[in-house]
Amino acid sequence: MNSFQYVTAHTLDEAASLLGKNGRYLAGGIDLLGEMKDYIVSPDVLVNVKEMSPQSEFKAIRLTNKDACLIGASVTVAEIAAHDDVKRVLPGLAEAAGEVGSPQIRNVASLAGNLLQHSRCWYYRQPDIACLKRGGSTCYAQEGENKYSALFSGCACISPVVSNLSVILAALGATVQLRRKGDLHELTIPELYQEAWRNPSAHHSLQPGDLVLHVTIPLKRTRSAYRQQSEKAEFDWAMVSCAAAGNVAAGKVTDVRIALGAIAPVPHMVEEAHHFLEGKPLNDATASQAADLLLKGAKPLAQNGYKVPLAHTLIRRTLLALNA
Amino acid sequence: MAGWPNPSTVLGKAATRVDGPAKVTGQAKYAYDVQPAGWLYGMILRSKWPAAKVTKIDLTKAQSMPGVKAAILAGGDQRTVRYYGQELAAVAATTKQQCLDAIRAIEVTAEPLPFVVKEDDAIKPDSPRVFDKTPNLSDPKLEENGKVDAAMAQAAAVCEAELRTQIQLHHPLETHGNTISVQGDHVTAWASTQGVFSVRDGLAGNLGVPQSNVQVICDYMGGGFGAKFGPGAHGGIAAQLSKAAGAPVKLMLNRLEQGLAVGNRPSSIQKLKFAADKDGKLLAADIENYGSPGVGGGGQTAGGGGGSNIAMPYIYGFPNSRTKQFGVALNTGAASAFRAPGHPPASFSTESMMDELAVKLGIDPVEFRLKNDGNEIRRREFQEGAKRFGWAEKYKKPGSSPGPIKTGVGCAGGGWGGGGGGTKAEVQINPDGTVEVRCGTQDLGTGSRTVVAIVAAEAFGLHPNDIKVKIGDTNLPPSGGSGGSSTTASISPAIWDTCQKALAALQQQTGVTDARGANWEGACRKLGINPLTANGEWQKGLSSSGAGGVNFAEVEVDTETGFVRLKKIVAVHDCGLIVNPLATTSQVNGGVVSGIGYALYEERVMDRQTGLLLNINFDSYKIPNIADMPDIEVVLIDLPERGVIGIGEPAVIPVAGAIANAVANAIGVRVHSLPITPAKVLAALGKVPNVSRV
Repeated sequence: MNSFQYVTAHTLDEAASLLGKNGRYLAGGIDLLGEMKDYIVSPDVLVNVKEMSPQSEFKAIRLTNKDACLIGASVTVAEIAAHDDVKRVLPGLAEAAGEVGSPQIRNVASLAGNLLQHSRCWYYRQPDIACLKRGGSTCYAQEGENKYSALFSGCACISPVVSNLSVILAALGATVQLRRKGDLHELTIPELYQEAWRNPSAHHSLQPGDLVLHVTIPLKRTRSAYRQQSEKAEFDWAMVSCAAAGNVAAGKVTDVRIALGAIAPVPHMVEEAHHFLEGKPLNDATASQAADLLLKGAKPLAQNGYKVPLAHTLIRRTLLALNA
Repeated sequence: MAGWPNPSTVLGKAATRVDGPAKVTGQAKYAYDVQPAGWLYGMILRSKWPAAKVTKIDLTKAQSMPGVKAAILAGGDQRTVRYYGQELAAVAATTKQQCLDAIRAIEVTAEPLPFVVKEDDAIKPDSPRVFDKTPNLSDPKLEENGKVDAAMAQAAAVCEAELRTQIQLHHPLETHGNTISVQGDHVTAWASTQGVFSVRDGLAGNLGVPQSNVQVICDYMGGGFGAKFGPGAHGGIAAQLSKAAGAPVKLMLNRLEQGLAVGNRPSSIQKLKFAADKDGKLLAADIENYGSPGVGGGGQTAGGGGGSNIAMPYIYGFPNSRTKQFGVALNTGAASAFRAPGHPPASFSTESMMDELAVKLGIDPVEFRLKNDGNEIRRREFQEGAKRFGWAEKYKKPGSSPGPIKTGVGCAGGGWGGGGGGTKAEVQINPDGTVEVRCGTQDLGTGSRTVVAIVAAEAFGLHPNDIKVKIGDTNLPPSGGSGGSSTTASISPAIWDTCQKALAALQQQTGVTDARGANWEGACRKLGINPLTANGEWQKGLSSSGAGGVNFAEVEVDTETGFVRLKKIVAVHDCGLIVNPLATTSQVNGGVVSGIGYALYEERVMDRQTGLLLNINFDSYKIPNIADMPDIEVVLIDLPERGVIGIGEPAVIPVAGAIANAVANAIGVRVHSLPITPAKVLAALGKVPNVSRV
C-alpha cells in the first residue's frame, strides 16, 4: 500500500479537521485496509475514530426509550450479534450480524464499516482490471462472469450491495445519523444507497468527509427475520439475502417491510409488496405473491438467473419466519 | 510379506506425530520463518497481460529506490508472454513495502496480443493461437480396444452425456517460496518443497554451480499437493536476486500469485457413451476428452506431470473401449501434478455414468459395481463400505425423497499405483543409547518424519519419540520427491534395512545377542567412545503398489435454494501395511476434505474479456470450511501381507463422484459439471429460466 499518516481523533471537530482532502476515517478497517493493500484506494491520512467521545454515541447500543434502539457507528458486528436487547427486540438484526464474515471479522468490523463497505464484484477487486466502478469505461460483468451480479440496477454498474446489515436495517426502517460539514444529517437506508443505484462509481451516497455517528432503529415492528444463502455454510458472501420486519397479530401482518441484498446496488425494496401484504395472513400463497412483486422486472444475465428462484425462496421463508 | 515383523510392537499402531509439539508451539521453522543474517525480501513483477509482445523492461527507476539491493529481469526484456502472471522482473529490498514500491516503478513496454482463456473458445478454428506455430487443439491421443461400435449396437442400455470438470488450484496454506543464500558458488536454500533434491538440482542448473555446492533444507512445509517439485521460476529468481544483491533473499508468493503461475489441476470436457448388457455387465465405453493444461505442454501424462489426459477408461472392466484425448492450449498458467493427476475427473465421470446405467438397468448401483469391478480388494471395500454406510436402507429411487429438502446417497471408487524405491538412509547409534536416523526425504505434511521414527523404533524395540529423525536436507542420504503416493513405500523399507544393519553391527560389536528394547542402553554403553553408524537402502519385498478406495456419500439438497449439505461420507481405503493408522486416517480425512472442495466449491474463474484471473482470494476461490464438513468415517483395510503402499492420492479420488451421485440420487436429475453449486442445482431442476446446460 502507499504510505499514509495515522492520527487519532477525540472529538467530531478534530476528526473533521484531521481528515484533510484525501483522508479516510478508520474504525474496524476490514474493508479499507484490504482496498489500500490492493491499491484500490490510497488515502494519505487515516483518522482513527475509535477513541471519539462521548463513547456513548459511537460505541454503545442503547434503547433510547421505549420506541428506538440507537447503535453507535463503531459498535462491532459481534457486539450487535451478541447483544441481549438486540436479540430480544430486533432478532432479525442479531441474525444478520451473526452471518457477517467469520468470528474474527465480526470482532473487528464496525456497524458503519459494514454499511459503507465497497463493492465485492470480482472485477472491481481485481488489481489489474480498471472496471467501470474503478473509473474505467466498461462494466465487464455485463458480458462476463456475472454469477454474483445484480438483477436490478439503475446504471451500467451491476455490482450489488453486500452489506448484511443494510438489508435488515432497511426492513426495520432505520435511519442513519451523520455529520456533514459540521451539521447533523439524517438519511434513511434507501437514501444511504441511492447514489449507488444511479452512479456506477458510487458505493453509497456519502460525500467525502461525512462521518456516520449512529443508526437509529424504531422499535415499532416487533417481529423481524433475516435469511441468506451462500455457496458455503459459513464465512461466505450471500448469493441472496433477505430481511423482513413487521407486526403480526391475530394471524395478520401489518406494517411489513421486506428488503433483499446482493441483487441490486441498493437494498431492494418494493412498496407494492408491502401494500399487498398489509392486513393479510402470512402463508405460502401470500408470501409467494409478495415475492413475485419484489422480483417483477428482474433482469437476469447469462449466469445469475438462479438468483430469481433463490430470492423467491428466501422471501417466502423470511416472511413466514415472522409468524414464529 | 517377508521382512516385516509379525506381530509388531510399534509398526501399525497409532502414533502421534513426533513433530506435533514443535508445530503447535511454533518452534517448527518453515521456509517463511528462516531469517539468515542480512536477509532481504524478494518480489516478482508479473505480466498484467494474458498475451503480449514485451519490447522493453526498464529497471532504472526501481534500482535507485530506497532499500532496493537488486533488480533483475526474469527472462529477456524482449519476448512474448503468454499468460497473466508470467514472470517479467524481480527486486530484492530491505522491506516488503520497498519491494512493492520498486515493483511498481518498473516500466514495461508491451504490445498486447490476442488471447484465449476458455476451453470452448480455444477449440474454435478462428480462435487466437496460444502458440504461433501450433493450433490450440492438439492431435488426439487415441487408444482403442475391441469393437466399440458393434458392442454398443448389442447393448441393453446405453447412456450418453457430456461431463465437465473445472480447473482446480492447489492453494496450499503455505504459499510457494524459498529463502535462498548464494555466496560465491555455494548455495543454501530453505525451500517449501516436496523434493529437496529436485530443488537442489534445479538451482544448481539455474546458477551453473556444482550440485554438491548446493544445500537445500526443508524441515517443515505447509502443503504442496503436487505443485512443489523443483525450485520453480520463483526459486530461480530468488537465487538470482540473492546473487545480485549479495545477501540472502526470502521470496514467498502471495495468494494472487499462487493462483496464476504455480500449477493447477487441468480441466476436462468429457463426451461419454457407456453401454451395458441386460445382466449388468459393461460392454463398451466411447470416450472423448478435451482438457487444458494452460500454456503447459504434454497431453500424455495422465498419472503425473502437467498434462491434461485423464485416466480413462477408469477402474471397471470394459471389454471394448475407445479413448480420444485432446489437449487444449490456453493463455493461462501451466498445469502441474495435483493429488492423483488424471484420476478425480475420471472417477467423477465414470461413476456418474455407472449410476446412470444402473438406474436405466434397474440394478442397485453397488451391485452394478460389484459385477464390473475386477479388483478383488475394491469389491471388498464396496461391500464393507455399503455395510458401514447402511446403503441397503438408505438407497432409494432417484428423486423419491419427499419434501423440498431431499436426501440422496451415492458411491464411487478409485485406484492408484504408488510403490516405492530409490531411497538411502543412515543410522547413528550413540554410546548413551540415543539414535539418530538420517534420510534425505521430506515431510510433505503427511507424517513422514513419524514414519521414519516408527520403523526405527520397531527395529530397535524403542518408542518413536526415542528416535531423533533428520530429514529434509540434501546433505543427508538421498531420497526421491514426495509424490505419486510413493514416500512411505520408499522410506519405510530403507529405514528398516538400515536399522537392521545397524542392529546387527551393534550386536556383533557388543556381543549382546538381542540388543533391542530393555537391553538397548546396556548394549549401546558397550560401544565405548565411538558411535556406530550404518547405511542401508530400499529393498524389495517390503513394499508394493496398487491401492484402491471407495467413498459413500449422503447429502441433503434443498431444492428451493440449490444448497447441498453433506451429511456423511464413509471412506474405505487399503494401502497395504498401514504404518501409522492415525496419520493414515488423517491422510484420508484430508483427501476427503480436498475432494469436497473439488465437488462443491472450488473453481478457477478466468475472464474471457480481459484474460485475467477473477477469484484472486479465498473469499471468491472457495475452499471448504469446518462448517461444510460432514461426518467423515474412515475405514482402513489393513493388508500387511502386501507390504507398504501409499495413501496420499487414492484418498482424494472417489470423493467427487460419490457426492455427485448422491446429489443426482437426491434430486432425480444430474448436474453435469463440477463444482456442483446451488446455481447449477437450481438449473438442473429446471428452475432457472433460459439456461441450456449445467
